[in-house]
Amino acid sequence: MISLTRLYAATALATLGAATLPAQQVTLPLKNGSVRFLVLGDAGTGDREQFEVANQMVRYAQRFPFTFAIMLGDNLYGSERPQDFDKKFMRPYKALLDGGIEFNAALGNHDDPNQRYFKPFHLDGQRYRTFKKGNVRFFVIDSNYLDPEQLKWLEKELSQSGSDWKIPYFHHPLYTTARRGPEVEVRAVLEPLFVKYGVDVVFVGHEHIYERLQPQKGIYYFTVGGAAKLRKGDTHPSPLIAARFDRDRSFLLAEIAGDSLYFETVSRTGAVVDKGVLGRREVRK
Amino acid sequence: MLRTLDFRRAALLCAAGLAVALASGCKEKSKQPEANPTNAVFDDFAKRVDAYVKLRKPLTDSIGDLDPTKSQAEITTRATSLANAIIAARAQAKPGDIFTPEIATVLATLIKQEYSRRSEPVQETREDQQDELPDFVPHVNQVYPTTYPLATFPATLLPLLPPLPDALEYRVVQHYLVLRDVEANVIIDFMPNAIPTGGPA
Repeated sequence: MISLTRLYAATALATLGAATLPAQQVTLPLKNGSVRFLVLGDAGTGDREQFEVANQMVRYAQRFPFTFAIMLGDNLYGSERPQDFDKKFMRPYKALLDGGIEFNAALGNHDDPNQRYFKPFHLDGQRYRTFKKGNVRFFVIDSNYLDPEQLKWLEKELSQSGSDWKIPYFHHPLYTTARRGPEVEVRAVLEPLFVKYGVDVVFVGHEHIYERLQPQKGIYYFTVGGAAKLRKGDTHPSPLIAARFDRDRSFLLAEIAGDSLYFETVSRTGAVVDKGVLGRREVRK
Repeated sequence: MLRTLDFRRAALLCAAGLAVALASGCKEKSKQPEANPTNAVFDDFAKRVDAYVKLRKPLTDSIGDLDPTKSQAEITTRATSLANAIIAARAQAKPGDIFTPEIATVLATLIKQEYSRRSEPVQETREDQQDELPDFVPHVNQVYPTTYPLATFPATLLPLLPPLPDALEYRVVQHYLVLRDVEANVIIDFMPNAIPTGGPA
Protein backbone atom coordinates (compact mmCIF):
# COMPACT_ATOMS: atom_id res chain seq x y z
CA MET A 1 0.00 0.00 0.00
CA ILE A 2 2.81 2.35 0.87
CA SER A 3 4.50 1.61 -2.42
CA LEU A 4 1.37 2.50 -4.34
CA THR A 5 1.10 5.79 -2.50
CA ARG A 6 4.70 6.54 -3.27
CA LEU A 7 4.24 5.68 -6.89
CA TYR A 8 1.26 7.98 -7.07
CA ALA A 9 3.12 10.81 -5.39
CA ALA A 10 6.13 10.43 -7.61
CA THR A 11 4.08 10.25 -10.77
CA ALA A 12 1.93 13.19 -9.82
CA LEU A 13 4.93 15.32 -8.94
CA ALA A 14 6.63 14.49 -12.17
CA THR A 15 3.63 15.66 -14.12
CA LEU A 16 2.64 18.71 -12.08
CA GLY A 17 4.53 21.68 -10.74
CA ALA A 18 7.93 20.28 -11.52
CA ALA A 19 7.37 20.14 -15.24
CA THR A 20 9.37 23.26 -15.99
CA LEU A 21 12.11 22.71 -13.44
CA PRO A 22 15.12 20.46 -13.88
CA ALA A 23 15.31 17.71 -11.29
CA GLN A 24 18.09 17.75 -8.71
CA GLN A 25 20.66 15.09 -8.00
CA VAL A 26 20.25 13.39 -4.69
CA THR A 27 22.58 11.01 -2.98
CA LEU A 28 19.98 9.44 -0.73
CA PRO A 29 19.91 5.69 -1.30
CA LEU A 30 16.25 5.27 -2.36
CA LYS A 31 16.08 1.79 -0.92
CA ASN A 32 13.07 -0.41 -1.48
CA GLY A 33 10.47 -0.04 1.26
CA SER A 34 12.22 2.89 2.91
CA VAL A 35 10.33 5.69 4.67
CA ARG A 36 10.99 8.98 2.87
CA PHE A 37 9.91 12.37 4.06
CA LEU A 38 10.42 16.09 3.88
CA VAL A 39 11.19 18.24 6.95
CA LEU A 40 10.41 21.96 6.99
CA GLY A 41 9.99 24.52 9.72
CA ASP A 42 8.89 28.12 10.17
CA ALA A 43 7.53 28.25 6.70
CA GLY A 44 4.30 30.22 6.75
CA THR A 45 5.22 33.69 5.55
CA GLY A 46 3.70 33.69 2.08
CA ASP A 47 6.80 35.57 0.96
CA ARG A 48 8.81 35.03 -2.20
CA GLU A 49 11.42 33.04 -0.30
CA GLN A 50 8.85 30.51 0.86
CA PHE A 51 7.86 29.92 -2.76
CA GLU A 52 11.50 29.62 -3.82
CA VAL A 53 12.19 27.01 -1.15
CA ALA A 54 8.98 25.21 -2.11
CA ASN A 55 10.14 25.10 -5.72
CA GLN A 56 13.34 23.37 -4.63
CA MET A 57 11.28 20.85 -2.69
CA VAL A 58 9.39 20.04 -5.87
CA ARG A 59 12.60 19.69 -7.86
CA TYR A 60 14.08 17.30 -5.33
CA ALA A 61 10.84 15.36 -5.12
CA GLN A 62 11.32 14.24 -8.70
CA ARG A 63 14.45 12.31 -7.83
CA PHE A 64 13.56 11.59 -4.26
CA PRO A 65 9.89 10.68 -4.16
CA PHE A 66 8.84 11.29 -0.60
CA THR A 67 5.25 10.68 0.44
CA PHE A 68 4.81 12.97 3.39
CA ALA A 69 6.19 16.06 5.09
CA ILE A 70 6.59 17.02 8.71
CA MET A 71 6.13 20.69 9.57
CA LEU A 72 7.88 21.97 12.68
CA GLY A 73 5.55 24.83 13.56
CA ASP A 74 4.99 28.47 12.70
CA ASN A 75 2.93 27.19 9.83
CA LEU A 76 1.22 30.56 9.45
CA TYR A 77 2.78 33.83 10.56
CA GLY A 78 0.56 36.79 11.36
CA SER A 79 -3.13 36.73 10.66
CA GLU A 80 -4.93 33.45 9.99
CA ARG A 81 -7.81 34.46 7.77
CA PRO A 82 -8.92 32.01 5.08
CA GLN A 83 -6.84 33.90 2.53
CA ASP A 84 -3.79 33.50 4.77
CA PHE A 85 -4.11 29.70 4.72
CA ASP A 86 -4.15 30.02 0.98
CA LYS A 87 -1.25 32.42 0.63
CA LYS A 88 1.02 30.90 3.27
CA PHE A 89 0.35 27.20 2.74
CA MET A 90 -1.91 26.06 -0.08
CA ARG A 91 -0.28 28.10 -2.84
CA PRO A 92 3.39 27.63 -1.97
CA TYR A 93 2.95 23.86 -1.66
CA LYS A 94 0.33 23.40 -4.35
CA ALA A 95 2.46 21.09 -6.49
CA LEU A 96 3.32 18.92 -3.51
CA LEU A 97 -0.28 18.86 -2.28
CA ASP A 98 -1.56 18.05 -5.74
CA GLY A 99 1.03 15.30 -5.88
CA GLY A 100 -0.51 13.65 -2.83
CA ILE A 101 2.12 14.68 -0.30
CA GLU A 102 0.63 14.52 3.17
CA PHE A 103 1.66 17.43 5.41
CA ASN A 104 1.79 16.63 9.12
CA ALA A 105 2.05 19.86 11.08
CA ALA A 106 3.12 20.62 14.63
CA LEU A 107 2.03 23.89 16.24
CA GLY A 108 4.48 26.75 16.75
CA ASN A 109 4.19 29.84 18.91
CA HIS A 110 2.80 31.80 15.95
CA ASP A 111 0.08 29.24 15.27
CA ASP A 112 -3.51 29.47 16.48
CA PRO A 113 -4.34 26.08 18.01
CA ASN A 114 -7.46 26.08 15.80
CA GLN A 115 -5.09 25.02 13.00
CA ARG A 116 -5.63 21.54 14.38
CA TYR A 117 -8.96 21.53 12.54
CA PHE A 118 -7.37 22.31 9.20
CA LYS A 119 -7.48 18.94 7.48
CA PRO A 120 -4.39 19.39 5.28
CA PHE A 121 -2.30 19.72 8.48
CA HIS A 122 -3.41 16.24 9.60
CA LEU A 123 -3.64 17.12 13.27
CA ASP A 124 -7.06 15.44 13.39
CA GLY A 125 -8.42 18.08 15.74
CA GLN A 126 -5.66 17.46 18.32
CA ARG A 127 -2.82 19.68 19.55
CA TYR A 128 -0.62 16.61 19.74
CA ARG A 129 -0.78 13.21 18.16
CA THR A 130 1.23 10.26 16.95
CA PHE A 131 1.35 8.45 13.64
CA LYS A 132 3.30 5.61 12.12
CA LYS A 133 5.02 5.21 8.77
CA GLY A 134 6.69 1.87 8.17
CA ASN A 135 9.01 1.13 11.07
CA VAL A 136 8.92 4.73 12.29
CA ARG A 137 6.64 6.19 14.95
CA PHE A 138 6.35 9.99 14.88
CA PHE A 139 5.25 11.97 17.93
CA VAL A 140 3.82 15.39 17.14
CA ILE A 141 4.21 17.48 20.30
CA ASP A 142 2.78 20.90 21.13
CA SER A 143 5.80 22.44 22.85
CA ASN A 144 3.96 25.74 23.34
CA TYR A 145 1.78 24.32 26.04
CA LEU A 146 3.19 21.24 27.73
CA ASP A 147 0.45 20.63 30.25
CA PRO A 148 0.52 17.54 32.48
CA GLU A 149 -2.12 15.89 30.32
CA GLN A 150 0.09 16.09 27.24
CA LEU A 151 3.13 14.81 29.11
CA LYS A 152 1.12 11.89 30.44
CA TRP A 153 -0.05 11.12 26.92
CA LEU A 154 3.49 11.34 25.57
CA GLU A 155 4.89 9.00 28.20
CA LYS A 156 2.12 6.48 27.51
CA GLU A 157 2.65 6.60 23.75
CA LEU A 158 6.44 6.42 23.98
CA SER A 159 6.30 3.52 26.41
CA GLN A 160 3.84 1.58 24.27
CA SER A 161 5.52 2.14 20.94
CA GLY A 162 7.14 -0.92 19.52
CA SER A 163 8.43 0.86 16.43
CA ASP A 164 12.10 0.60 15.57
CA TRP A 165 12.43 4.36 15.28
CA LYS A 166 10.84 6.88 17.62
CA ILE A 167 10.92 10.42 16.24
CA PRO A 168 9.31 13.29 18.12
CA TYR A 169 8.99 16.63 16.41
CA PHE A 170 7.83 19.99 17.68
CA HIS A 171 8.66 23.67 17.57
CA HIS A 172 11.15 24.63 20.28
CA PRO A 173 14.79 23.49 20.25
CA LEU A 174 16.12 21.77 23.34
CA TYR A 175 19.63 22.61 22.19
CA THR A 176 20.82 25.34 19.87
CA THR A 177 23.51 27.96 19.50
CA ALA A 178 21.12 30.49 17.98
CA ARG A 179 20.45 33.86 19.56
CA ARG A 180 17.36 32.99 21.57
CA GLY A 181 19.07 29.95 23.03
CA PRO A 182 17.77 26.53 23.96
CA GLU A 183 14.39 26.02 25.61
CA VAL A 184 15.76 24.62 28.82
CA GLU A 185 12.35 24.37 30.45
CA VAL A 186 10.97 22.37 27.57
CA ARG A 187 14.12 20.29 27.73
CA ALA A 188 13.60 19.68 31.45
CA VAL A 189 10.26 18.00 30.86
CA LEU A 190 10.82 16.29 27.50
CA GLU A 191 14.40 15.06 27.53
CA PRO A 192 13.99 12.61 30.43
CA LEU A 193 11.14 10.94 28.54
CA PHE A 194 13.13 10.83 25.30
CA VAL A 195 16.08 9.23 27.04
CA LYS A 196 13.98 6.78 29.04
CA TYR A 197 12.02 5.51 26.07
CA GLY A 198 14.77 5.31 23.48
CA VAL A 199 14.06 8.24 21.16
CA ASP A 200 16.52 8.28 18.29
CA VAL A 201 16.10 11.57 16.49
CA VAL A 202 14.28 14.85 17.20
CA PHE A 203 13.32 17.52 14.68
CA VAL A 204 12.57 21.09 15.80
CA GLY A 205 12.23 24.57 14.30
CA HIS A 206 11.73 28.00 15.93
CA GLU A 207 15.25 29.21 15.17
CA HIS A 208 15.44 30.34 11.57
CA ILE A 209 18.59 28.45 10.71
CA TYR A 210 19.77 24.88 10.22
CA GLU A 211 21.71 23.01 12.88
CA ARG A 212 22.61 19.39 13.38
CA LEU A 213 23.84 18.67 16.84
CA GLN A 214 26.26 16.16 18.19
CA PRO A 215 24.18 13.48 19.92
CA GLN A 216 22.94 14.69 23.29
CA LYS A 217 22.39 11.83 25.72
CA GLY A 218 22.38 9.57 22.69
CA ILE A 219 19.78 11.55 20.76
CA TYR A 220 20.30 13.36 17.45
CA TYR A 221 18.75 16.82 17.20
CA PHE A 222 18.07 18.72 14.01
CA THR A 223 16.88 22.33 13.94
CA VAL A 224 15.24 22.95 10.59
CA GLY A 225 13.62 26.34 11.04
CA GLY A 226 14.52 28.15 7.86
CA ALA A 227 11.99 27.13 5.24
CA ALA A 228 10.97 30.76 4.74
CA LYS A 229 12.39 32.95 7.47
CA LEU A 230 16.11 33.37 7.97
CA ARG A 231 18.34 34.74 10.71
CA LYS A 232 21.56 35.12 8.84
CA GLY A 233 24.67 34.38 10.89
CA ASP A 234 22.70 33.15 13.87
CA THR A 235 24.43 29.82 14.45
CA HIS A 236 27.79 29.72 16.15
CA PRO A 237 30.71 27.33 16.36
CA SER A 238 30.30 25.13 19.41
CA PRO A 239 31.20 21.65 20.57
CA LEU A 240 27.44 21.04 20.40
CA ILE A 241 27.32 21.46 16.66
CA ALA A 242 28.00 18.79 14.07
CA ALA A 243 26.87 20.92 11.13
CA ARG A 244 25.23 24.31 10.65
CA PHE A 245 23.93 26.54 7.91
CA ASP A 246 22.65 30.07 8.33
CA ARG A 247 23.40 31.83 5.06
CA ASP A 248 20.12 30.98 3.36
CA ARG A 249 16.81 29.19 3.79
CA SER A 250 16.77 25.41 3.92
CA PHE A 251 14.81 22.20 4.30
CA LEU A 252 15.72 18.58 4.90
CA LEU A 253 15.02 15.31 3.12
CA ALA A 254 15.16 12.09 5.10
CA GLU A 255 15.08 8.41 4.27
CA ILE A 256 14.84 5.66 6.85
CA ALA A 257 15.80 2.20 5.75
CA GLY A 258 16.19 -0.46 8.41
CA ASP A 259 18.49 0.83 11.10
CA SER A 260 19.77 3.82 9.15
CA LEU A 261 18.46 7.35 8.68
CA TYR A 262 19.93 9.10 5.64
CA PHE A 263 19.47 12.82 5.25
CA GLU A 264 20.26 15.71 2.95
CA THR A 265 19.75 19.35 3.83
CA VAL A 266 19.08 21.60 0.88
CA SER A 267 19.28 25.38 0.56
CA ARG A 268 16.88 27.72 -1.22
CA THR A 269 19.21 27.70 -4.21
CA GLY A 270 19.27 23.91 -4.37
CA ALA A 271 22.69 23.30 -2.88
CA VAL A 272 23.17 20.38 -0.52
CA VAL A 273 24.51 21.98 2.66
CA ASP A 274 24.66 18.91 4.86
CA LYS A 275 24.20 15.20 4.43
CA GLY A 276 24.92 11.99 6.25
CA VAL A 277 23.62 8.82 7.78
CA LEU A 278 22.70 8.07 11.38
CA GLY A 279 22.27 4.77 13.14
CA ARG A 280 19.45 3.81 15.41
CA ARG A 281 20.27 4.17 19.10
CA GLU A 282 19.77 0.47 19.92
CA VAL A 283 22.03 -0.51 17.08
CA ARG A 284 24.66 2.03 18.09
CA LYS A 285 24.82 0.38 21.51
CA MET B 1 9.39 13.16 37.77
CA LEU B 2 5.68 13.77 38.34
CA ARG B 3 6.09 12.96 42.00
CA THR B 4 8.80 15.58 42.24
CA LEU B 5 6.54 18.12 40.63
CA ASP B 6 3.71 17.19 42.97
CA PHE B 7 6.03 17.69 45.89
CA ARG B 8 7.16 21.04 44.55
CA ARG B 9 3.58 22.05 44.01
CA ALA B 10 2.66 21.01 47.54
CA ALA B 11 5.55 23.00 48.96
CA LEU B 12 4.61 26.03 46.95
CA LEU B 13 0.98 25.68 47.92
CA CYS B 14 1.92 25.64 51.60
CA ALA B 15 3.59 28.97 51.10
CA ALA B 16 0.63 30.17 49.08
CA GLY B 17 -1.65 29.03 51.90
CA LEU B 18 0.20 31.28 54.25
CA ALA B 19 -0.34 34.13 51.83
CA VAL B 20 -4.06 33.42 51.76
CA ALA B 21 -4.25 33.25 55.51
CA LEU B 22 -2.53 36.61 55.76
CA ALA B 23 -4.66 38.07 52.99
CA SER B 24 -7.89 36.87 54.58
CA GLY B 25 -7.27 39.14 57.52
CA CYS B 26 -6.03 39.18 61.06
CA LYS B 27 -9.54 39.22 62.51
CA GLU B 28 -9.61 35.45 62.08
CA LYS B 29 -6.29 35.16 63.88
CA SER B 30 -7.63 33.77 67.12
CA LYS B 31 -9.59 30.98 65.40
CA GLN B 32 -7.98 27.65 64.66
CA PRO B 33 -8.58 27.09 60.96
CA GLU B 34 -10.30 23.77 60.38
CA ALA B 35 -9.10 23.39 56.81
CA ASN B 36 -6.30 24.67 54.65
CA PRO B 37 -7.62 28.03 53.39
CA THR B 38 -5.83 27.46 50.10
CA ASN B 39 -8.04 24.47 49.33
CA ALA B 40 -11.15 26.59 49.68
CA VAL B 41 -9.67 29.16 47.33
CA PHE B 42 -8.80 26.51 44.74
CA ASP B 43 -12.27 24.98 45.10
CA ASP B 44 -13.82 28.36 44.48
CA PHE B 45 -11.65 28.85 41.40
CA ALA B 46 -12.66 25.41 40.10
CA LYS B 47 -16.34 26.28 40.63
CA ARG B 48 -15.95 29.49 38.67
CA VAL B 49 -14.22 27.65 35.85
CA ASP B 50 -17.01 25.05 35.91
CA ALA B 51 -19.60 27.80 35.74
CA TYR B 52 -17.88 29.15 32.64
CA VAL B 53 -17.86 25.71 31.02
CA LYS B 54 -21.59 25.33 31.80
CA LEU B 55 -22.33 28.71 30.27
CA ARG B 56 -20.33 27.77 27.21
CA LYS B 57 -21.92 24.36 26.65
CA PRO B 58 -25.26 25.45 25.10
CA LEU B 59 -23.36 27.92 22.92
CA THR B 60 -21.12 25.22 21.46
CA ASP B 61 -24.14 22.92 21.17
CA SER B 62 -26.00 25.46 19.07
CA ILE B 63 -22.99 26.31 16.91
CA GLY B 64 -21.91 22.70 16.59
CA ASP B 65 -18.59 20.94 17.03
CA LEU B 66 -15.93 21.42 14.45
CA ASP B 67 -14.57 18.38 12.71
CA PRO B 68 -11.33 18.64 10.77
CA THR B 69 -12.13 20.42 7.53
CA LYS B 70 -10.43 21.54 4.37
CA SER B 71 -12.35 24.79 4.57
CA GLN B 72 -10.34 27.49 6.27
CA ALA B 73 -13.44 29.66 6.17
CA GLU B 74 -15.36 27.10 8.20
CA ILE B 75 -12.71 27.22 10.94
CA THR B 76 -12.72 31.00 11.03
CA THR B 77 -16.50 31.26 10.92
CA ARG B 78 -16.96 28.85 13.78
CA ALA B 79 -14.32 30.58 15.94
CA THR B 80 -15.93 33.95 15.26
CA SER B 81 -19.46 32.67 15.94
CA LEU B 82 -18.36 31.06 19.18
CA ALA B 83 -16.47 34.19 20.21
CA ASN B 84 -19.48 36.40 19.52
CA ALA B 85 -21.80 34.07 21.44
CA ILE B 86 -19.46 33.92 24.44
CA ILE B 87 -18.96 37.68 24.48
CA ALA B 88 -22.74 38.23 24.31
CA ALA B 89 -23.42 35.69 27.05
CA ARG B 90 -20.78 37.28 29.28
CA ALA B 91 -21.50 40.88 28.46
CA GLN B 92 -21.39 41.78 32.15
CA ALA B 93 -18.17 39.90 32.85
CA LYS B 94 -15.43 41.90 34.49
CA PRO B 95 -11.81 41.34 35.51
CA GLY B 96 -11.56 39.18 38.60
CA ASP B 97 -14.74 37.21 38.01
CA ILE B 98 -12.69 34.03 37.73
CA PHE B 99 -9.30 35.19 38.95
CA THR B 100 -10.81 36.50 42.20
CA PRO B 101 -8.53 38.49 44.50
CA GLU B 102 -8.16 35.38 46.67
CA ILE B 103 -6.98 33.04 43.91
CA ALA B 104 -4.91 35.86 42.43
CA THR B 105 -3.05 36.19 45.74
CA VAL B 106 -2.38 32.46 45.83
CA LEU B 107 -1.28 32.22 42.22
CA ALA B 108 0.89 35.32 42.36
CA THR B 109 2.69 33.93 45.41
CA LEU B 110 3.08 30.54 43.78
CA ILE B 111 4.39 31.98 40.53
CA LYS B 112 6.80 34.36 42.22
CA GLN B 113 8.21 31.58 44.33
CA GLU B 114 8.56 29.35 41.32
CA TYR B 115 10.39 32.12 39.49
CA SER B 116 12.73 32.74 42.39
CA ARG B 117 13.76 29.09 42.32
CA ARG B 118 14.54 29.04 38.61
CA SER B 119 18.00 27.93 37.69
CA GLU B 120 20.19 30.47 35.96
CA PRO B 121 19.82 28.91 32.48
CA VAL B 122 16.04 28.98 32.81
CA GLN B 123 16.10 32.60 33.93
CA GLU B 124 18.29 33.43 30.96
CA THR B 125 15.95 31.63 28.57
CA ARG B 126 12.98 33.56 29.88
CA GLU B 127 14.82 36.85 29.68
CA ASP B 128 16.06 36.13 26.16
CA GLN B 129 12.52 35.57 25.03
CA GLN B 130 11.04 38.79 26.29
CA ASP B 131 10.81 39.94 22.70
CA GLU B 132 8.26 37.21 22.01
CA LEU B 133 5.83 38.38 24.66
CA PRO B 134 2.72 39.87 23.12
CA ASP B 135 2.72 43.61 23.65
CA PHE B 136 -0.89 44.48 24.31
CA VAL B 137 -3.05 45.10 27.34
CA PRO B 138 -5.63 42.31 27.71
CA HIS B 139 -9.32 42.95 28.38
CA VAL B 140 -12.11 40.63 29.38
CA ASN B 141 -14.11 39.56 26.32
CA GLN B 142 -11.33 40.67 24.00
CA VAL B 143 -10.58 38.49 21.01
CA TYR B 144 -6.89 37.65 21.34
CA PRO B 145 -5.27 39.56 18.48
CA THR B 146 -4.25 36.96 15.94
CA THR B 147 -1.35 39.06 14.76
CA TYR B 148 0.39 38.42 18.08
CA PRO B 149 2.04 35.09 18.85
CA LEU B 150 0.78 32.99 21.72
CA ALA B 151 3.80 33.10 23.98
CA THR B 152 5.12 29.71 24.94
CA PHE B 153 3.94 28.91 28.42
CA PRO B 154 6.78 28.09 30.85
CA ALA B 155 6.75 24.31 30.81
CA THR B 156 7.79 23.83 34.42
CA LEU B 157 5.28 26.34 35.76
CA LEU B 158 2.24 24.84 34.08
CA PRO B 159 1.97 21.72 36.26
CA LEU B 160 1.89 23.91 39.36
CA LEU B 161 -1.22 25.83 38.30
CA PRO B 162 -4.77 24.55 38.84
CA PRO B 163 -5.77 22.27 35.98
CA LEU B 164 -8.17 23.62 33.38
CA PRO B 165 -10.74 21.95 31.14
CA ASP B 166 -9.86 21.51 27.46
CA ALA B 167 -11.81 24.65 26.56
CA LEU B 168 -9.47 26.92 28.50
CA GLU B 169 -5.77 27.58 28.76
CA TYR B 170 -3.38 29.88 30.56
CA ARG B 171 -1.31 32.32 28.56
CA VAL B 172 1.11 35.10 29.37
CA VAL B 173 0.74 38.60 27.97
CA GLN B 174 3.38 40.96 29.35
CA HIS B 175 3.01 40.64 33.14
CA TYR B 176 -0.55 39.33 32.91
CA LEU B 177 -1.65 35.76 33.40
CA VAL B 178 -4.48 35.34 30.92
CA LEU B 179 -7.29 32.80 30.82
CA ARG B 180 -8.12 32.16 27.20
CA ASP B 181 -10.90 30.21 25.53
CA VAL B 182 -8.93 28.07 23.11
CA GLU B 183 -11.46 27.59 20.32
CA ALA B 184 -13.13 30.98 20.52
CA ASN B 185 -9.81 32.77 21.01
CA VAL B 186 -11.40 35.03 23.61
CA ILE B 187 -9.80 36.35 26.80
CA ILE B 188 -12.07 35.22 29.62
CA ASP B 189 -10.18 36.82 32.49
CA PHE B 190 -6.72 38.07 33.34
CA MET B 191 -4.58 38.72 36.34
CA PRO B 192 -2.21 41.68 36.35
CA ASN B 193 1.25 41.56 37.91
CA ALA B 194 1.16 37.79 37.93
CA ILE B 195 4.41 37.30 36.08
CA PRO B 196 7.54 38.76 37.64
CA THR B 197 9.43 41.28 35.54
CA GLY B 198 12.06 39.50 33.56
CA GLY B 199 9.93 36.37 32.95
CA PRO B 200 8.80 34.20 30.93
CA ALA B 201 8.99 32.95 27.36
